[in-house]
Amino acid sequence: MTSFHLNGQAVSVDIPDDTPLLWVIRDDIGLTGTKFGCGIGMCGACTVHVDGRAQRSCITPVGAVEGAAITTIEGLSPNGQHPLQTAWVEAQAPQCGYCQSGQIMQAATLLLDFPSPSAEDITAVMHGNLCRCMAYIRIRKAILLAAPQLRGSEPT
Amino acid sequence: MNKIVDSQRAAASPFSRRRFLIVSAGTSALFGFMRPGFAATDVPTPKMFEPTIWYSIDANGAVTVSITKAEMGQHVGTALARIVADELEADWSKVQLDYVDTDPKWGPMVTGGSWSVWSSFLPLSQAGAAGRMALIEAGARLMNVNKAACSAQGGAVVCGLRVISYGQIITQSNLNRVYTADELKQMPVKQPADRHLIGYEAAAIDIPSKTNGTARYGIDAQIDGMVYARPKIPPTRNGSKVISVDDSAAKSIKGYLGNKVLDDPSNTVPGWVMVFADSYPAAIRAADAVNVVWSAGDTANVSEQDILDHGTALIADKTGGVLVVDDAGIDVAFSNAKSTLEQTYTTSSVLHFQMEPLNALALEKDGVFEIHCGNQWQSLILPVLATALGVGEDKIVMRTYLLGGGFGRRLNGDYIVPAALATQAVGKPVKMVCTRADDARFDSFRSPSVQTLRMAFGEDGKATAMTHDATAGWPTQVMAPAFMAKGVNDALYDPFAISGANHWYNVGAQRVRAISNDLANHAFRPGWLRSVGPGWTNWAVESFMDEAAHKAGVDPVVFRLRMLDGTGRNAGSAPYAVGGALRQANVLKLAAEKAGWGNSMPENTGLGVATTFGQERDMPTWVACVARVSVDRQTGLVRLEKLTLVVDAGTIVHPDGALAQVQGGALWGVSMALYEGTEFTAGEVADTNLGTYTPLRMGDVPEMDIEFIESTEAPTGLGEPATTVVAPAIANAIFAATGTRLRHLPMRPQDVLQASAKLNA
Amino acid sequence: MKRVFIGFLGVVAVIFIGFFVIAWRPSIAPAPLPAANSFSPVLVAKGAVLAGAGYCAVCHTASGGQPYAGGYALATPFGVIYSLNITPDPQTGIGNWSEAAFARAMHAGVARDGSYLFPAFPYDHFTKINDDDIQALYAYLMTLPPVNAPAKADTLPFPFNIRYLQAGWQLLFFHGGRYQPDTTKSAAWNRGAYLAESLSHCGGCHTPRNAFGAEEAGHEYAGALIDGWYAPPLTAANPAPVPWTRAELFTYLRTGASDVHGTAAGSMSPVVHTGLAKLPDADIQAIATYFSDIDGAATRAVNTGTALANAITASAQSGQPGADPDAHLYENACASCHYNSATPPPAVRPDLALNTALWLPDPTNFIRVVLNGISLQDGMQGVMMPGFANSMSDDQIARLAAYLRRTRTNLTPWPDLQAKVAAIRAQGPEASQ
Ligand code: FES
Ligand code: FES
Repeated sequence: MTSFHLNGQAVSVDIPDDTPLLWVIRDDIGLTGTKFGCGIGMCGACTVHVDGRAQRSCITPVGAVEGAAITTIEGLSPNGQHPLQTAWVEAQAPQCGYCQSGQIMQAATLLLDFPSPSAEDITAVMHGNLCRCMAYIRIRKAILLAAPQLRGSEPT
Repeated sequence: MNKIVDSQRAAASPFSRRRFLIVSAGTSALFGFMRPGFAATDVPTPKMFEPTIWYSIDANGAVTVSITKAEMGQHVGTALARIVADELEADWSKVQLDYVDTDPKWGPMVTGGSWSVWSSFLPLSQAGAAGRMALIEAGARLMNVNKAACSAQGGAVVCGLRVISYGQIITQSNLNRVYTADELKQMPVKQPADRHLIGYEAAAIDIPSKTNGTARYGIDAQIDGMVYARPKIPPTRNGSKVISVDDSAAKSIKGYLGNKVLDDPSNTVPGWVMVFADSYPAAIRAADAVNVVWSAGDTANVSEQDILDHGTALIADKTGGVLVVDDAGIDVAFSNAKSTLEQTYTTSSVLHFQMEPLNALALEKDGVFEIHCGNQWQSLILPVLATALGVGEDKIVMRTYLLGGGFGRRLNGDYIVPAALATQAVGKPVKMVCTRADDARFDSFRSPSVQTLRMAFGEDGKATAMTHDATAGWPTQVMAPAFMAKGVNDALYDPFAISGANHWYNVGAQRVRAISNDLANHAFRPGWLRSVGPGWTNWAVESFMDEAAHKAGVDPVVFRLRMLDGTGRNAGSAPYAVGGALRQANVLKLAAEKAGWGNSMPENTGLGVATTFGQERDMPTWVACVARVSVDRQTGLVRLEKLTLVVDAGTIVHPDGALAQVQGGALWGVSMALYEGTEFTAGEVADTNLGTYTPLRMGDVPEMDIEFIESTEAPTGLGEPATTVVAPAIANAIFAATGTRLRHLPMRPQDVLQASAKLNA
Repeated sequence: MKRVFIGFLGVVAVIFIGFFVIAWRPSIAPAPLPAANSFSPVLVAKGAVLAGAGYCAVCHTASGGQPYAGGYALATPFGVIYSLNITPDPQTGIGNWSEAAFARAMHAGVARDGSYLFPAFPYDHFTKINDDDIQALYAYLMTLPPVNAPAKADTLPFPFNIRYLQAGWQLLFFHGGRYQPDTTKSAAWNRGAYLAESLSHCGGCHTPRNAFGAEEAGHEYAGALIDGWYAPPLTAANPAPVPWTRAELFTYLRTGASDVHGTAAGSMSPVVHTGLAKLPDADIQAIATYFSDIDGAATRAVNTGTALANAITASAQSGQPGADPDAHLYENACASCHYNSATPPPAVRPDLALNTALWLPDPTNFIRVVLNGISLQDGMQGVMMPGFANSMSDDQIARLAAYLRRTRTNLTPWPDLQAKVAAIRAQGPEASQ
């Protein structure tokens, strides 16, 4: 039995500890915004936040997040209007969209660590998030649009 | 299966599965995208105006456009809806999309070839125009004015100062005018100058749902009572037979439910075994634990080199293949030539690697098989499914979902067959999901190719003749033989696998020979992959043009421009190819100018150019590309500094979406030029996941300058053309920078080193 | 000839009897379990803190078992030894041990019944514990809830299973006696030294052992492979590019992570999070004072600013296109967390160019963390790293290790990486149990 918080709600699941968190979130809890791409931690489609930091849920065993606070794309903001999400729409970043939940969740950690990221910072941190549609130019643009919003909205 | 034991899972919980099930169960309206800001009260009322199958308008004036194309990142729904809405004079803020399920009424359902806008433009314009006429007529009647004095705008009929909205018209009248196909064909459409949506910026309707987790892809489908399945992929794509299955090790895996050797009358998935479990992670583990012994097909030892060698032999045999172009006098031209040039170009296998691994959910309900997944060519796979299941096509319906990437992989619906057979066999809904490695091993990847090009030169270094022999696996021959084309000698060939060789350069007498690589066709299932044939033919043509220019001692841009003179068969014709090669010359000139062609470059830095007409001669999208690279001679690393692209695709319906397609398409070109490519080894692809397969990522993106030619000509396609110019432009730039010529894709650092070592030797 | 032989036998017998006489330890009579209220609550509380600092529970609790009830498997080079039940259960624990019997065990490595304890029980350090602290520990243990848990049979082969022979080991390697303060040093230094040398027995992991399993004299804190991890040197030989200053040591021992060195993984994690956790800051400062003196942080000629700048320069290569194919793995799988572009790098974004694991002579720690990750509870709490055991092949992890070693350090390459990865993978995630 593993208990954790998911998007602010307490959840307990009775699932073998070594089950990847990804499938628990998608199939058992039914939040499908988090995606399966590679299953080996190298595409970023499955990125969620564990205690506020981006993690690849496909290689995170559910047993490892006992007591943690998990956030998925559905819980990033109550109404889908997180500055990253509005920036993503403004930049018209998604193509097929499949990688974008992961891109956004990763970008959130990027901007937490690098509130005014340089081009190199964005590249290095986002390089692990594969976008097969190759929407990279707009993902980069969206991150730069969101950065000042997030700097503004956070107490310093 | 009740694994969530927490009391928090109350009815009001956002995690309730119920809500999602309603969506995935397939009431098709729910697959449409609600626009942000669409109030809940805007739900359709029973009173509807549906003048054609392509859209309906409800009493609130909301327009729901039926989209029969797959949404896989091209925002096709937005582009198609803008075509309808422009003619319909609809209020754009009230337009929404309905990605429809299969139904014979839609006609052939296929999304590929960069055809969507090109093929839909006129019919959807006419459908929109028809609705506008009917609404004006009804509005005039309701306002009691002469319809000639009325016009439509912004979702309303206007007569002087009087206005009546479409919603009011529909509420107040019994508007039920339906247009026949013939009537629609006669329907006049607007002049370009009167358009106010087409060609103007708009946010894509599907995008918000792709930023908040609500977009539903095939892999998100869930049905009560379903079991999960993961396949055991046999050792060869064709001809594998199951000898025995031993699942004793799987029995200890919690959730393992059993396995099934598929019996497939359609022979789509020979030798497949499905492993079932009550969760997907259990299915992954159980499939690993199930031990299957196969007798492999006869291609179990075939390698990439075997396929390339076979291709080389096929080209050497002058009697084989199909002549696509065969001008009189070609042999004479070669024997009279002042000089000739011959070169051979090759490409490696390339995986689709669409981000959403292959999956399909299938179930049988009241004698009808429901298929839930994303797919690009429903009309192609439905008859196959009917054969596999032994039922009529009318007993199968395909529910539509978003595609987490298509790139041609999902034109081939083979992945649906095992899910359908499994549900039939076990009598339960089955959701099959491939792991990434399963997906790669089962990919219909892009075939390796071999091409030999020859040119004859006259006195002044002018081309007098050219031949192009190309061989590769032929997807259309293997999967859709009805779409084969007839060559000059009436033999059939795969038009998608040779298109591009029949270019718009006037080279004197020309011969194009397409040769099916039967070993490739047999050893795997060659797939249509973004741009298909031009992905290799244009690599050869444009690399060769560069080599020919250098041989002739002429600047590569000038050399090309001389031959893009728009005469003879390259003059072009209405409706789609107006202007012909002159439009290609135009984009080439502009791209060269923008990129600073002719300027001197720093050491080890060079510009390379390439151009294309896109996918097909009767739907040309004119593209030119200049690549700027610098090469590190020590490591062989090619740094792609900049790509300059100029595109003429006629009318651009959704400019921002068009730009996204060219950006993504060009970067795919970069990826296949420098970063990705696998190898067929012992009957399978060598790379099955990202540890070794290395598609382009953010750090590899060059600076890009993309420009569209403003045009009111008929719109053509945009999904693929930009893909095909990049690799030759890069190879030509490497040559300009270093004098080293690369003739194989991909071009990795060690290839650059090897080639330059050879040059210096 | 015969006489010579008999004479020889006689000599052997004398030696044997002599050894027996020297080695023989009396049994101490069972004593009734003292009443819980016979100990002052202050004493018990003090004992609880000390028991933490001695990691008693870490070794005396089987995984998933009752605290202090023993049964934890210690894999030694000689075989598996199971720890004993030290709850006050009279039958299976130490309920009938008098304080004198307990003190003798701690100070001399002999159980109440006179049998020798194996030196896996670090009495070679505990001998230095002062009597007041022994008393407090006794008070704490005797007031624990008793658990009936019989000892598990060790798997030591003959002759290592003969406890009596431990007397010989003691003769050779054991030097009893309480901690003697160094009057030339500060009170804090002495407090730190006392804790480190006695109760917290840091040398137990960080000092290499000889063939007999004894800590090598003259190589104190020189670094050693233990429990499937490499305990780094705590001396000036520590290879971390930034020296372990008192402040860094304090932060690390208090929180489990240091911005410029890495996090406490493997068996060091419970040392920080369950062992030292209850010690007051002053004691942690004292330990830090002691070790920053031993490692010569103050006198090491390292320009920390330059070391940090070099590390950040190396780290910032990530994601910039390069010709190195091994870099792909790092950039795709690691850089999203392990990339920095300015100093000091935040601890939540551990910088591998500074991470001790990359600088050690042995790649074990690096490989083990890549394979199995670091849990939320370990290292820096609340930050986790997933394991890549199911994601990367031995070859890929070996290439990753080689790539980082060659681009993030100026040290010689690690040899035989692929075989090492395979061996550590085969041990599974819980190598020490
Ligand atoms: S699915 Fe988790 S990183 Fe690719
Ligand atoms: S938008 Fe399709 S994979 Fe990124």
